[in-house]
Amino acid sequence: MILQQLINGIVIGSVYALIAMGATLVYGILKVLDIANAGAYAIGAYAGLFLYQATGSLPVAFLGAVLFTGLFGVLVQRVLYVPLLDKPPLVPLICSIGLFIFIQDLIRLLAGPHIRAFEAQLPFRGIELPYLSVNAIWIAIMATTAVLLVFLWYMLNRTKLGLAWKSTAQDLEIAKAMGVNVDRVVAFNFLLGYGFAAAAGIMIGMLYNSVFPTMGDMPAYKMLAIIVLGGLGNPLGTVVAGLLIGVVETLVAGYVGFFLPRDAIAFVVLIVILLVRPQGLLGQRT
Amino acid sequence: MRLISGRMRKVLKLEHVDAFYDRSQALDDVSIEVREGEFVTILGANGAGKTTIMKCIMGLLPPRNGRILFGGEDLTGRPAWVRTEMGMGYVPEGRRVFPDLTVEENLRMGGYNLKDHRALRRNLEWAYELFPRLKERRKQLARTMSGGEQQMLAIARALMIEPRLLLIDEISTGLMPILVNHSFNVIKDLHQRGITILLVEQNANKALKVADRGYVLEIGRITLQGTSRELRDNEEVVKAYLGS
Ligand SMILES: Nc1ncnc2c1ncn2[C@@H]1O[C@H](COP(=O)(O)OP(=O)(O)OP(=O)(O)O)[C@@H](O)[C@H]1O
Ligand SMILES: [Mg+2]
Repeated sequence: MILQQLINGIVIGSVYALIAMGATLVYGILKVLDIANAGAYAIGAYAGLFLYQATGSLPVAFLGAVLFTGLFGVLVQRVLYVPLLDKPPLVPLICSIGLFIFIQDLIRLLAGPHIRAFEAQLPFRGIELPYLSVNAIWIAIMATTAVLLVFLWYMLNRTKLGLAWKSTAQDLEIAKAMGVNVDRVVAFNFLLGYGFAAAAGIMIGMLYNSVFPTMGDMPAYKMLAIIVLGGLGNPLGTVVAGLLIGVVETLVAGYVGFFLPRDAIAFVVLIVILLVRPQGLLGQRT
Repeated sequence: MRLISGRMRKVLKLEHVDAFYDRSQALDDVSIEVREGEFVTILGANGAGKTTIMKCIMGLLPPRNGRILFGGEDLTGRPAWVRTEMGMGYVPEGRRVFPDLTVEENLRMGGYNLKDHRALRRNLEWAYELFPRLKERRKQLARTMSGGEQQMLAIARALMIEPRLLLIDEISTGLMPILVNHSFNVIKDLHQRGITILLVEQNANKALKVADRGYVLEIGRITLQGTSRELRDNEEVVKAYLGS
């Protein structure tokens, strides 16, 4: 029973990490809270669903939707954020909230307000043991998330591009002066960030068998809790915070039968931890 | 080699450069030049516009009017990140090492545009040879180093591309006197090894001891220029910058 709950928590938590990773990457470089990243989550889910219905192939739908949404992120960055960067931080933040609302309404206009089912056929079966059942979608989610996060870790810590990313996050002006084409780093950052959000959207859409225009609402709030908890702009912290919130949420909801709605638990965790560590779990005191 | 063949070649030339922060003008009709092998200094008090000149040269603040030429090539409209490829090494004001990268990662960032792996290795070795202290601390995060060590790291980082021109924005600020002397000795030594240097400084006394030539910058304008000796003997300079 506890093992089952733990696995549930880890699955949910790793998807949370994925959702928040896009915003973390963007914050790391631009110091902008990118609420619209939760819009990318919904775009990804819809793109994935339509591509799946059109092609019948899950890998094609997944990769296609991730790429499409990532390119959308590159566009957003070029058209919206870069021109606003030398304005006070509130300006890009408001712009990002506006974009989020715009995305949701655009989806409503194009695809209708109703909930669509996302029934995916996976080519393998789940695990059924007497005390433990892990269905196929969960296995797919865990594996995909692990691959994406390991890919990101490798990219950030073992490649020249990762070094450029970190330098740009630490001091954009000096990174430029050292020869880093920061325009390209920022564009790549959005490609990755929006792509990750899309991946999460597809997987959650499949998990709950539903895709709808406002599906990004809850991730938008939770994403904020997770990136603050992870120490703002810290990718590793985001993974830790995502897993923590996923696990705590599942355990509390499963055992305590909390008087709070499940989705509020993330914020209880956030508040408690920030009282003790105002800089977040892995953030640095400044 | 550089010294003999290119003694008179101009490495850097600023022609009538004006620069603005929004509507306030920071540089007014600044023209300077640096020739191959020279050590040139620009002297100025706080707020004179020294850092602004450096930012213009590095492409971090594009001039509103005027041109900047490097090795005869017009830099107008070219992004900051082409500078290292062209051979400009930059030691920014306040060191600005990447705080959460290790010493070695900082140095690798200095050589970011080196295409050749062997050149990167070689220059890394060279940097460690010049500053053995950095080698001892190569795995340490830059933020945990002392101010003096960070200054050495900032210089070493700029040397990673074997620069044709080394731009230094105040070598002495924030360091204790003994380290100030040490830093000046380090750049004097680099100059003697054949590196062309442009140093902007408040510490006129020290700068004029190591530089060949200098300019005096006052509220965004070049008001005086000459050899270091001429400037040291100039009454106004003595009064304004060298104390009594
Ligand atoms: N980012 C900025 N925005 C607006 N004004 C600026 C900015 N940076 C510098 N200035 C102004 O431009 C002028 C020149 O500044 P600059 O930093 O070039 O001086 P400096 O000679 O390097 O001074 P210091 O010796 O203190 O480093 C000053 O009046 C300064 O207030
Ligand atoms: Mg300055």
